[in-house]
Amino acid sequence: MNAALDSRSRTATSRPASERPVLALPPRPSRLGQTVATAVVGLVLLVSAATLDVEWSDLRELPAAVAEYAALMFADPDWSRLPRALFEMWRSISMAWLGAMLCVVVSIPLGMLAAHGVGPAWLRLALRGLFAVIRAVPEVIIALVLLTVTGLTPFTGALALGIAGIGTQGKWTYETVETLRDGAADAVRAAGGGRTALVRWALWPAALPALLSFALYRFEINIRMSAVLGIVGAGGIGSMLANYTNYREWDTVGMLLIVVVVTTMAVDSVSGALRRRIMEGA
Amino acid sequence: MSPGTTTEPATRLDLPPRPRTWPRRTLVFSALTAFTVATCLPAIGGIEIDLAAIAQNWRHGAANLSALLQPNWSFVPRTIQPMLETLQMAFVGAAIAAALSVPLTLWAARPTNPNTVTRTAVRAVINVVRAVPDLVWATILVAMVGVGALPGLLTLVLFDVGIVVKLVSEAIDSTDHPYLEAARAGGATQGRMNRALALPQSLPLFSNQWLYALELNVRISAILGIVGAGGIGRLLDERFGFFAYGDVSVIILEILVVVLLIEAASNVLRRRLA
Repeated sequence: MNAALDSRSRTATSRPASERPVLALPPRPSRLGQTVATAVVGLVLLVSAATLDVEWSDLRELPAAVAEYAALMFADPDWSRLPRALFEMWRSISMAWLGAMLCVVVSIPLGMLAAHGVGPAWLRLALRGLFAVIRAVPEVIIALVLLTVTGLTPFTGALALGIAGIGTQGKWTYETVETLRDGAADAVRAAGGGRTALVRWALWPAALPALLSFALYRFEINIRMSAVLGIVGAGGIGSMLANYTNYREWDTVGMLLIVVVVTTMAVDSVSGALRRRIMEGA
Repeated sequence: MSPGTTTEPATRLDLPPRPRTWPRRTLVFSALTAFTVATCLPAIGGIEIDLAAIAQNWRHGAANLSALLQPNWSFVPRTIQPMLETLQMAFVGAAIAAALSVPLTLWAARPTNPNTVTRTAVRAVINVVRAVPDLVWATILVAMVGVGALPGLLTLVLFDVGIVVKLVSEAIDSTDHPYLEAARAGGATQGRMNRALALPQSLPLFSNQWLYALELNVRISAILGIVGAGGIGRLLDERFGFFAYGDVSVIILEILVVVLLIEAASNVLRRRLA
């Protein structure tokens, strides 16, 4: 092998330069597909931008408008309605929390059953299909449908958040269970444990930190969603914000926005710190 | 340990003492219970869990649900134009956001912007933008620039920029950058380093998040119309107002199909780009 290589390199170098074969470069890979794809995407983009019902010239006045409204909202926020705003904010937080609890309590058993090696195949496929469908429906639409049953209440909002979250939460649950190492599960099976023992002693303890962390994350998502549901009419800070925007009382809207932003960021940071602690240990 | 020193017979295995976890466990559990109870007290703004209302309205709700289960297919032609507008908004919004997200991301990541002041400023703005929910942006923008597709488009751009900049700049922060260090040692300016090395390296991260933003846009723009920001949501809201549940269910099904299609398409694209 080595000798062959040596002799080849020696003959190559000893040959005069004119006889040396031109190095055969591989042909340049065709970029035709890429070019065509880029052109098509660009064309579709241009056509959609042109036919969209937007006066693009309005954009020139936008910075001035933004500055004007920002001054109206934040130059002198109306703090006299702060108690009411905090009351409504707590209602939104409650909606988010109860929705997260409902979602987690339902999605953990369903997600476990949807994991490989736990439930039967037909149930697994059915549950995964259900999760996919729920994931595709926007939360607001679930809330609108629920409205017809329970009426416009914060309770509707919590129920909608609970149901809408099941799709994603269930998916996270079965994905977590499936990425667990098999050691503990094999040990339980070898010791003669059935399905219940498997879930209780192998899967549950190993998956618990991740599941708790996902539950907190669901709460963070719901904080944002509960404000959105409020705009649709479920109550809480979103409803108050929508009302005062309609009244065009911009100083109150500015105060409400500050409350929303501060609360959301505070909840995010507390919940984020808790999640890190759960996942990485103390 | 040599065999000579252990002459006594094997003693019982010394188990370590069971860790005392119950005080903490009780504390955490009672804190969670207290919080949950507090969220259910209407007096302080909590939620009234009103199961009686559900029991009472059940028949009414069931009738509505069964109406929802009978889609009025003849309504389909009227949904096509608004659905197209929704898709246009989603696509154009994602494209504008993609263009804006590149410089902002490079500004917000430590390896590509060593200047603490500008980096913190960009991050703070992005965090504030992200803390305001999408439909809240839409409500305020509709009040500011008027009903139509423009406030919807602006909402989508704001929302996408927030997500893409946060996720990609964090990804850039958390990886090592030997090439950047080499370029810095070779005397490159930050601008050249970013253009020649950081940008091509993080392009796969970007394209992944752009696709994700497009998926989210389709989902969001379907409901933006509820507050007057254009697209199929306006029609949805209108039909709901008329209690035309057959038309509503057509719209919901259409949104469902479009969302699933876009998701499937972007999964295919993602696999090809990876």
